[in-house]
Amino acid sequence: MQRYLIASAAAVALMLAASAMIFFFAPTDALQGPVQRIFYLHVSSAIAAFASFLVVAVAGAVYLWRESVVADRLARSAALVGVVFTTVTLVMGMMWAKPIWGTFWTWDARLTSTLVLWIIYAGYLLVRRLAAPGRQAARFAAVVGIFGFVDVPIVYFSVTWWRTVHPGPVISTDALPPEMLLTFLLTMACTLVLAAVMIAVRYRIEALQDAQPQGQFVLQAARRPTS
Amino acid sequence: MRFLAIAFAVGRKDLLSEWRSRELVPALAQFVVLALVIANFGFQINNDNAFEIAPGILWLALVFAGLVAFGRAFAAEKEQASLEAMILTSAPPAAIFAGKALAAGTLLVICEAVLLPVMSLFFGTPLTFELAATVFLATIGMAALGCMFAAMVAQLRAREVMLPLLTLPLWIPLIIVGGQAVQNAIGGGGAIDQALWLLVDFDILFVVLTSLAARFVLDA
Repeated sequence: MQRYLIASAAAVALMLAASAMIFFFAPTDALQGPVQRIFYLHVSSAIAAFASFLVVAVAGAVYLWRESVVADRLARSAALVGVVFTTVTLVMGMMWAKPIWGTFWTWDARLTSTLVLWIIYAGYLLVRRLAAPGRQAARFAAVVGIFGFVDVPIVYFSVTWWRTVHPGPVISTDALPPEMLLTFLLTMACTLVLAAVMIAVRYRIEALQDAQPQGQFVLQAARRPTS
Repeated sequence: MRFLAIAFAVGRKDLLSEWRSRELVPALAQFVVLALVIANFGFQINNDNAFEIAPGILWLALVFAGLVAFGRAFAAEKEQASLEAMILTSAPPAAIFAGKALAAGTLLVICEAVLLPVMSLFFGTPLTFELAATVFLATIGMAALGCMFAAMVAQLRAREVMLPLLTLPLWIPLIIVGGQAVQNAIGGGGAIDQALWLLVDFDILFVVLTSLAARFVLDA
């Protein structure tokens, strides 16, 4: 219990430190003004979402291979966190788009594929609820999680494959001044820590739920039959 | 060899039962034609905009016909509890799945054979080999994905809602590429070879992934 409190407090402190960097250290963008500061958290949460979905896909594959309840629980937790971070990415993107593009939403390849990503993993969470708990839910969810991951590279490369309004990569192309780059890298690291802590806390919740009397029954069903 | 034999046997069984009952294809063919009629009222189609709107309507009609065709393929098995019987045999699940997808895909191709000429008749769009090839290649990927999720949702509660919810997002890559290719094929602008190869890539990816996943989806 104590460990989770400390980890959560540390994650919050890191995020506050990142906010301080974003608002007080990073220079104001010459063209866009203060609204450009959305960039740091917007891109970081997108990367955290990708990382979470990678965990979902890998853990799903491990579950299908080994029928490991631990992997399934990890996938469950990471999917929820990934959806949360995709939501954050979309909402912050809209907030940024309104003043800069003049509209909350445009059917740009990057935006559309990100929305599709959200829908896929929201579907993942739905499958978990609608399938029979235990092995069926775990297997179906693992399959959806692995197939859904196909969309992640599409989101990532959408800005290079299609002509988009959404800006392309700025990190790999070295387009950021050093202060902005430092702020971004720090925010990204903090956001990834936050995501990891959220997944860990969620994992704990799932584990406790599995430990409930009816959870035990479900767990038995998810495991490989021993006899 | 045995894999192919089983797949063809399952596919043949499905097509034969469809041939005897003739319950799906006539209804679907009627549905795709109706979709064109509805689109006509929805979009106020005239000679100027028909070429721009036709590709969108084509994909909408195809996607919804596909959802029904693939959904039926497994819903019927589930109702009769015959899917369990097939899984109990020593046949590899991937082969059973391939057969189901083959049959359902064939049914959709028959619908396309109705849809494309009718669209060309009503909208004045050209009926070219490229158009047919694009639609056919997209159908392969759609059948693989659609049947996998149909097998999944047949075992879920609320299956009618869940099938489009899971399938449509993953069909989007096929529809993006196919939509562009159809627009080029109909509008006559730009080459579509690249789009066709991309569709082949997607088909290979989805067929391989779904045949790997079939074991876990059919027997859960």
